[in-house]
Amino acid sequence: MKIEIIEKLKEDVRYKEALTACMNCGVCTAICPAAEFYKYDPRTICNIVQSNNVDEIEDLLNSETIWYCGQCMSCKTRCPRGNVPGMLITVLRKISQEMGYFVNSEKGRQQLAIKRTVGENIINAGYCVHPDIVDPDLHPEQGPVWRWFINNIKEVSPKMGAVYHQETAGALRAISKDTLDEIKSIFKVTGGEEFYKKIEHFSSEKAKDFQSNADYDYMIKVYTTDSGDHTR
Amino acid sequence: MQHFDTIIIGGGPAGLEAAARLSKFDKHVLIIEKDPALGGKLLLWDKLFPDFASSEELLHQLIENIKNDNVKVSLNTGIKEIENEGGLWNIIDNHNNKYSAKALLLATGFDVFDASRKEEYGYRIYPNVITSVDLEKILSGEVSHAEPKKVVFIQCVGSRDEKVGNHFCSKNCCICAVKQAIEVKEMYPNSEVYCFYMDLRMFGESYEELYRKAQQDYGITFIRGRVSEVSPTYHGQVQIKAEDTLLSRPIRLTADLVVLMVGMEASEGTVEIGKKLQIGGNYDYFKSKNQHLADNLTYLDGIFVAGTSKRQMSIPETMKDAAAAALEINNYLN
Ligand code: SF4
Ligand code: SF4
Repeated sequence: MKIEIIEKLKEDVRYKEALTACMNCGVCTAICPAAEFYKYDPRTICNIVQSNNVDEIEDLLNSETIWYCGQCMSCKTRCPRGNVPGMLITVLRKISQEMGYFVNSEKGRQQLAIKRTVGENIINAGYCVHPDIVDPDLHPEQGPVWRWFINNIKEVSPKMGAVYHQETAGALRAISKDTLDEIKSIFKVTGGEEFYKKIEHFSSEKAKDFQSNADYDYMIKVYTTDSGDHTR
Repeated sequence: MQHFDTIIIGGGPAGLEAAARLSKFDKHVLIIEKDPALGGKLLLWDKLFPDFASSEELLHQLIENIKNDNVKVSLNTGIKEIENEGGLWNIIDNHNNKYSAKALLLATGFDVFDASRKEEYGYRIYPNVITSVDLEKILSGEVSHAEPKKVVFIQCVGSRDEKVGNHFCSKNCCICAVKQAIEVKEMYPNSEVYCFYMDLRMFGESYEELYRKAQQDYGITFIRGRVSEVSPTYHGQVQIKAEDTLLSRPIRLTADLVVLMVGMEASEGTVEIGKKLQIGGNYDYFKSKNQHLADNLTYLDGIFVAGTSKRQMSIPETMKDAAAAALEINNYLN
């Protein structure tokens, strides 16, 4: 299992691009917006991965840490050694998801919600984000006006220049069946489908710990649980 | 066509020292200097690390040493052509004067890294961001500056940085920052002085001791972390962002004056001649024949190199290298 971590890491082409020789200067952490807010330090992650210490890398896969990165890639712009800590994070996340470590952290368990929202939206609707799938219950940050907007979307859309569910060019248009089929086959061929199954599988295993199965309630529960122990 | 035993291109510390040594061997030497005065980059510094020696006095001594009949100096002079003809090196300068010599010593030195290339540090954007070279002028009293309450030194500007194409360490900036931090503290005893570094490379004689003194006697704070950016504040100060890598914590610091410790690069003249003679090596510095055994020789017969045109050096190292070059040239001429 542990050997597999290192193998998976090294065979990922993004890993080779992301990390060559970190000199622990801290420029990435200094510019990282996530590091300012969360208990998060991209430099340390580079350092741990660079150390090749498999126990520590395994700890990372189990940790909250790797889920704090916002994938903004600001770190890429400044690293004096040409590393990309944000991309290293993407590799660690993928391994954590594939091997099931993600369910061992609060932020990691939320991957289920992302898979079921943005992830499935791509396949089912052809959109990552479309008003139909931004459930007001799941997105309190949208404010009360959002529910009103959803309830009145047919009337409001034309006023905003959108072509809600129409088969023509423009925002919020319907995506044709051909295109959706194509997206599905891309997901199948590239392993995306398999990857989604793994997230469901490990989540339902974990749900047993909470005397539950990985149903909607479980998803909402992991999505909204906040230990309050993530920020600096 | 005037003939010399050796023509030295560059009248900085390396060129001057080599000229003095060669003249003692009774060789006729011409120094060609592009600037209106001798001294090279020595002219940019007020006091020298690690002993706060006066650079003016050093330069004065170096010039005294070449005041003899064997040494001629041509200022304001650039090189137009260098060619080998029958074992002699012929030079045409920008005034169309022609000279020849059996040996040429290239002592064309370094240029200071242009800090505006690291745009994120705001040099030439925010007036309170200056370079170590600018600071020398404040320390010498040549330029005046409002008394700063908080001064931040930023190391490795233009060095050890893939983003500007310089992977190398400029070697002198660490100790120079320690020297300047102490001088700032002496000039403004009430100021707080911080120095952000990645590693402090205190390898030279009494460098480490000076570093300790800076911490112990002058209360200068050293923080391990490379600065990622400098930005303006509403009150006309600047804020620097870094990580304190020993505490694994991002930090911000507001300062009245930020000093960028600019590194060294091959000078324009070095790059140009390197291309002309095809003896350019890494980062366009001259490449010596063998770093261990023949460090003043090049692959061209009769072309010698010395000082910071070859790689980053301190002044004492440059002088020793120039002395060694003079010895090599003397052997070659005899
Ligand atoms: S900026 Fe680059 S070299 Fe510096 S700590 Fe981050 S990854 Fe390492
Ligand atoms: S990509 Fe991630 S690690 Fe890099 S700066 Fe953005 S949030 Fe930080």
